[in-house]
Amino acid sequence: MSTEKVKEAIAKVLPDVETVICWQGGFDAIHATPCFVSSPEQIDKVIWSPLCAQNLASYLPSMKKKVGIVVKGCDSRTIVQYMQEGLIDREKVVIIGIPCTGVVSVKKILKEIGHEAVLDASFDGSGSITVRTPKGEKTLAIADVCPDKCRTCQYPTPLVYDHLAGDPITSDKPKESVYQDIREFDAKTLEERKAYWEKELDRCIRCYACRNACPMCVCQDSCIAETREPHWISQKLSLQEKFMFHMIHALHLAGRCVECGECDRVCPMDIPVSKMKKKINAEMKELFNYETGVNPDDKPPMFTFNVDEVKIKEHKL
Amino acid sequence: MTDIKNPYLPELATVLRVIEETPNIKSFQVLFNDPEKMKGFTFQPGQVGQLSVFGAGESTFVINSPPTRMEYLQFSVMKAGEVTAAIHNLYPGDQVGIRAPLGNWFPYEEMKGRNILFIGGGIGLAPLRTLILFMLDNRSDYKDITIIYGSRTPPDLCYKDELKEWEERSDVNLILTVDNEYPGWTKRTGFVPTVLKEVAPKPDDTVAITCGPPIMIKFVLEGLAQLKFRDEDIITTLEKRMKCGIGLCGRCNIGSKYVCKDGPVFSLAQLKEMPDDV
Amino acid sequence: MPDTGYLPKEKVKDFIRELAKDAIVHVPCLEGETVVFRPFSEDRELCLERPANTPPKSIIYPQSETLFSFEHKKDPEDHQKMSVELKVDIDAPGTVIFGARPCDARGFVIYDRVFIDTDTPDPYYKKRRENTLVVTLSCAAPFPGCFCVGVGGSPAGKEGTDAMLTEIAGGYIVEPVTEKGKAILNKPMVEDGSTRLKDAQQAQQKAHEAVKNPFAGGMPNISPELFDADPFWEQALSKCVSCGACTYLCPTCYCFNITDEQVYGKGERIRSWDACMFFHFTLEASTHNPRPTKFQRFKNRVGHKFVYYPEKYEGAIACCGCGRCIRYCPVSVDISEIVNDLGGGGKKEQQPAGSAKND
Repeated sequence: MSTEKVKEAIAKVLPDVETVICWQGGFDAIHATPCFVSSPEQIDKVIWSPLCAQNLASYLPSMKKKVGIVVKGCDSRTIVQYMQEGLIDREKVVIIGIPCTGVVSVKKILKEIGHEAVLDASFDGSGSITVRTPKGEKTLAIADVCPDKCRTCQYPTPLVYDHLAGDPITSDKPKESVYQDIREFDAKTLEERKAYWEKELDRCIRCYACRNACPMCVCQDSCIAETREPHWISQKLSLQEKFMFHMIHALHLAGRCVECGECDRVCPMDIPVSKMKKKINAEMKELFNYETGVNPDDKPPMFTFNVDEVKIKEHKL
Repeated sequence: MTDIKNPYLPELATVLRVIEETPNIKSFQVLFNDPEKMKGFTFQPGQVGQLSVFGAGESTFVINSPPTRMEYLQFSVMKAGEVTAAIHNLYPGDQVGIRAPLGNWFPYEEMKGRNILFIGGGIGLAPLRTLILFMLDNRSDYKDITIIYGSRTPPDLCYKDELKEWEERSDVNLILTVDNEYPGWTKRTGFVPTVLKEVAPKPDDTVAITCGPPIMIKFVLEGLAQLKFRDEDIITTLEKRMKCGIGLCGRCNIGSKYVCKDGPVFSLAQLKEMPDDV
Repeated sequence: MPDTGYLPKEKVKDFIRELAKDAIVHVPCLEGETVVFRPFSEDRELCLERPANTPPKSIIYPQSETLFSFEHKKDPEDHQKMSVELKVDIDAPGTVIFGARPCDARGFVIYDRVFIDTDTPDPYYKKRRENTLVVTLSCAAPFPGCFCVGVGGSPAGKEGTDAMLTEIAGGYIVEPVTEKGKAILNKPMVEDGSTRLKDAQQAQQKAHEAVKNPFAGGMPNISPELFDADPFWEQALSKCVSCGACTYLCPTCYCFNITDEQVYGKGERIRSWDACMFFHFTLEASTHNPRPTKFQRFKNRVGHKFVYYPEKYEGAIACCGCGRCIRYCPVSVDISEIVNDLGGGGKKEQQPAGSAKND
């Protein structure tokens, strides 16, 4: 799992493709940013580290020519889902997979360092990051500042790839842990859950970062959040409108959300929007024994219709 | 607080008459409900107004009746989106809102004593109509007036009664065209830019004023350049998605110019100074 | 009355309570890990340690507001005839923004030129602006992505501010900036701070020096050739996801939409923030879109702030360097880097991003 191996793989892939989508350093030492490498001399700026949190696969459907892409295990689920839904041409994507032991959440780091400006940061190679701010240095275990999805990661090695930059690794996290948070949340009363969402969604500023960063949001420029025909949502800033948008977003992702967590990561107001989608995914698992983005040959349950759905009682009437 | 005029508040008006110009274009003649407002209302040819149907919204249209004929204000509307569909559902007596006049106007003072060439396509004749009627009402101020106007088919030609009138006038040279052969059509066929080339008007002491679909304008501007018209003598009026109409809301800008406030009328010389996201 | 006040830390809440006697006082509050401006109430958790995620712009220029309400009415004499009634009600109560940052306050100055100093002033904005007192808190240190000094601001800049607080040992120095701001020195919690003004000035100077200046060699001279070159924007913005985070979090973005909302003959015309980054922003009914790509849209955004606005307002830049667009961008697009690149030179070194020692 080294930057050098990733760079080598990019150099190998580059002659065959228009561009390789990967990461480079961002505006400060705790941010990575996507980059599009299209010539060998650009490879130098490529990085791979736990800062590389963005799910780059989201760019694939908009790519017209053959491209290379660097993906982590979790990101590869997006590609698998795209394949299931016919949103990309697999022949036009060269995948460089990276076995990943976990990335960092910038939001969690910022919380730990009191939201100070970052002067420098470094990884010690043994699972921690040291961040320097004007107020001093702080060393944090990556396990403590990783996004929630890493804590229950089942697929540290990409499920689909053409080149693997590193040796495959397997998950040591129990399968049951994946929806543990949802089960805990479900245990709350309806009133508690309602109050929770009212409080969280009240902060929504309708910037649609969650939608635009979502790899599976396919309506994009025709989203009902902005259209007048249909005119389902008004431009009033009421909780009702915000709720409506997020519910539609979640429902459109039923059995499609690949749980990459981009919606949570990008929300400038720290709204845990992925929770709604994860809840629906948990239901999909329960009803159809379906898990998104793990097998290219699967068909998303909402793309099919069976008269005899084993777990849906109404159909047994 | 200082009491300032509310620029977003429309003046209420009533639809007087609805004219079906083409299968998808209607003209609406409206009167302000307040007779004083109507009496005191002044505008310049080329200026636009925001027409509201309350509940659907408002859209920008040129006032295409000239300031020399103030019995009513006329707007011509092509059915395209939500607001225009609501406008098309209006009948005489219905209430609308108007915010006008907005924007700049045709530099008609500077055109005095010169030849005038109008080139229009489809609904693009609307803004030209204002100026044509204004000039006909002040006919002695201008030299030759030539109008090249085309549409897809003969039924798509706007202001058919006036076209007939202009055709009969000896002091107007009207050239009509439709894109393709059409049963009963005996005049020219071909796209407006092609007809412009065929007619080949002389650029000497002539101002060309053009309006139509973006693609037509593009080729007309090329054609006029080939005919050696100077950029300063080519005038066009632009259409953009507009909301506020007072240069604030940010969507109709081309660079630092707001089409709603600094426009909609621009010379080609001015357009060449602006970014190309037209 | 002294020219400078001192507000002991333990009296801040009392001071806010005092202000709240005759105004709605918006204060930065902590909600989870997010800082948002909320009308003060006793159950709020005040947060003065860092800038709010969202600037206080919505307090004067709400994200959504009613321009007027309308009602279609049947003529009692003639049921065929309908009339329309319009009602304007500008809601502009006495307001205090407490704890805005200097960049946030500077944003209002950028709006004032657009909404007030024009031949068609905006009565909604104007009335609220006039009825609002801006009490700013100067920044003691920079925050991720911020670059106010690069665009002529400062962590203790006073533009748009009525009175400024600067943290010193034990409390805050209160410097009035406008006549309106002077009045708060009369509040009983405010002591004479004249002798300690120099402490505040020292802190301000220190903070100013700590802020990174991406334009250290002067404001880049934007090259018209680069600005109009599509490949430049395609290269710089391939990663942009075209969301509205940068615009909605921006203290100087003001583009808006106007829409009607109606239920059974009664409704409202609403003005709501809009984002030039959205495809719908310029989409015309004919389906023609003058800015159909994210590259063109972002070019317009940078153009508006660094080229078009300055052209209109004597060189003033419509960016206050608050850094929110950089800090919260889903893919870390850095507008200061783009402006530098547009200037031809001044190419910033990419941060090593801590990856070097990872191999």
